[in-house]
Amino acid sequence: MVAQNIFFGILAAIVAISALRMVTTRNIVHAALYLVAVLAGLGALYVLLTAEFVATTQVLVYIGAVMVLFLFGIMLTKAPLGNVMEMTGRQWPLAAVVAALLGGVTIYSLVDRFGSERLNTDGPIYRTADVSDEVFSTYIVPFEAVSVLLLAALIGAIVLARKD
Amino acid sequence: MATQSVLAFVGPSVNWWALLPQMILLGAALLIMLVSALAPKQTSTPFVTVTTMCAAITSYIVATGLWNDVQRDGPSSSIASAFGIDGFSIFFTMLILVALAATALLSHGYLDKEGIDAPEFHALLLCSAAGAIVMASANDLVVMFIGLEALSIGLYVMIAMHDRRQEARESAIKYFVLGAFSSAFLLYGIALTYGATGSTNLIHIRDYLGAVVFRDQHLLMAAMALLLVGLSFKVAAAPFHFWAPDVYQGAPSPVTGWMASVAKAAGFAALLRIFFAAFASHRIDWTPIVSVLAAVTLVVGAVMAILQNDVKRMLAFSSVSHAGYVLIAVQAATDQGTAAALFYLFTYTFMVLGTFAVVGAMGRDDDHPLANYAGLGRSRPVLAIGFTILLLAQAGIPTTSGFVAKFQVIAAAVNNKNYVLAGLAMITAVVGAFMYLRIVMAMYVDNEEQKSSVPSWHWSTKVVVIAMVGFTLLAGLVPQFLIEFAEDAVPILIRG
Amino acid sequence: MDVTTGWYLVLGALLFVIGGTGLLIRRNPLVMLMCVELMLNGVNLSLVAFAQRLDDIGGQTVVFFVLVVAAAEVVVGLGLVVAILRRRPGTTADDLSTLRG
Repeated sequence: MVAQNIFFGILAAIVAISALRMVTTRNIVHAALYLVAVLAGLGALYVLLTAEFVATTQVLVYIGAVMVLFLFGIMLTKAPLGNVMEMTGRQWPLAAVVAALLGGVTIYSLVDRFGSERLNTDGPIYRTADVSDEVFSTYIVPFEAVSVLLLAALIGAIVLARKD
Repeated sequence: MATQSVLAFVGPSVNWWALLPQMILLGAALLIMLVSALAPKQTSTPFVTVTTMCAAITSYIVATGLWNDVQRDGPSSSIASAFGIDGFSIFFTMLILVALAATALLSHGYLDKEGIDAPEFHALLLCSAAGAIVMASANDLVVMFIGLEALSIGLYVMIAMHDRRQEARESAIKYFVLGAFSSAFLLYGIALTYGATGSTNLIHIRDYLGAVVFRDQHLLMAAMALLLVGLSFKVAAAPFHFWAPDVYQGAPSPVTGWMASVAKAAGFAALLRIFFAAFASHRIDWTPIVSVLAAVTLVVGAVMAILQNDVKRMLAFSSVSHAGYVLIAVQAATDQGTAAALFYLFTYTFMVLGTFAVVGAMGRDDDHPLANYAGLGRSRPVLAIGFTILLLAQAGIPTTSGFVAKFQVIAAAVNNKNYVLAGLAMITAVVGAFMYLRIVMAMYVDNEEQKSSVPSWHWSTKVVVIAMVGFTLLAGLVPQFLIEFAEDAVPILIRG
Repeated sequence: MDVTTGWYLVLGALLFVIGGTGLLIRRNPLVMLMCVELMLNGVNLSLVAFAQRLDDIGGQTVVFFVLVVAAAEVVVGLGLVVAILRRRPGTTADDLSTLRG
């Protein structure tokens, strides 16, 4: 448990600080790189939670594919790379209220219910094969429905990218 | 353990018959894309429209067969209990198919006129219709979420497809960012529900909540709040409506009609299935929140609509206030209330599609000052009468379906002893009627110098407007058949 | 004091809140998209932590679907953003003012 505690502390700090920096940094490429740090930290946390499939897909899909998409997006739009002050004062009060309310309610209810629940250390370890069984039995409908979603996204991407 | 389960793996049984409506739509989408890739010359707009119409009609016939099956054999669910086959899902399937056929017809003239690629537009339309049907039929929160995403992604791109109009792109981005934001809320709500109950399946959730007495249910309350916020964005309920005027105004009119009818109907389908059917045992917790939401939505919708001068923005706020009436029916949390909500959504779909058909035919997409409608009563008397009937129906004038719908909603609130909300609904109906009358007045005011240059109407627009007006009057004069239809369509969560 | 499930859940909630706040205060559409990803990642962490605590594999499976949805959203979102920014570089959400906010 000691190793679990230490690693959780380190990773959680990396994730939380990177997330904060991502939102506050003015340089868009830095924001993308901070997002990589968040995603990598989360991948490691999934390993701590014995979710090997999720950890692998996190690295492959998020860091591998989604982040590359973001960097391409930054390149293609010729986004200004220097310091750009683009935070508006108009939304600050609203954002503060939303953050306080949302954070307060969710964190209170989560700590209230799971704050003292110890991690499940003696249960079975679920492997990727178990996830695949679940995908093709209980979650077969979402698996099929995802094909509709991907078809729509595919056509959409072609439509948006083809012209101008 | 892993090897064992692989050997013992048995897939769930699939009721293909029940999946047929959305599979026809997807098949049509693939067919359109395939033909447009192989024979680009042959894929003219008429071919695509006919394909979509055929898919919608075939699908509707299958849905009618399913409806008869359900009425005879009772509701069931299929594929690991994740897909519900009850009156509710078929009711919404039919509603979505009607909207699909109307939107396909409306876009027929629009796509040619604006030079938009018809095959891609129709493929996306069919995908988003299939997504909406999946969302309305889902017995599992994850299925519901994916259906919602398929519906929304199709919509985002359909709004943005007009590549010469920057406003359409901007409203697509606005809708996209807020849509993604609300999806994240919905998803977090799903995650917390999973944490509180141990499953994402609504049947399991209902049974679990019915059997277990919670020691502390803060987590469940937070989950409900997040789900409600996420869905309120989708149905444009205040205070989560602020995207609606901009997006309705900027989007191409046929897409606005589709968004106002189907996105709202599918959102309410999800709301009813989750809250009315699955969280039934905790209705004491959620009905007050929904009541407040309904009251705020009614007031905002009615008051803000009066302050607008652009017809499309007026109609956006009118769509907000319609969401308020449906929410009144939802907060009743009774079979009567749910039937009233279903009746309201069905009649509203016809009204709003007809209304946006007229708006779309009035010319440019994003600029609809009230003055453009001046003199319409003289230059186009028949269609002006049709538009008048649709607007009066939205206002809730007797002999139209809108009156019956509002009456039922208010009756549900009164039966539930929620007199405050019932009174508020009546007051806002009167206030809201003023806005509709303003448009009607503008049409009939004689204004000689404004011989407004109304573009010629495409035949498909006329067909849609006449059909929608006809149904609105029919459901207003002899509403009994639709009332019974809605009463048979109350959601039922059943295993296997 | 050992790490409990609650700690993971609080971290997930924090990510969700930071992402949501960022989406409200940032005006660059690309950063707003990143904020949406942050929110979805907060949800994913919560799902995995719940699954671990409940000894149920469903949560991990749901994460798989969230990943797919997130990827599809990014594809369409970036397509939209690129389409609009290529024409007018340096646009922020406030500049999208042809429509009033």
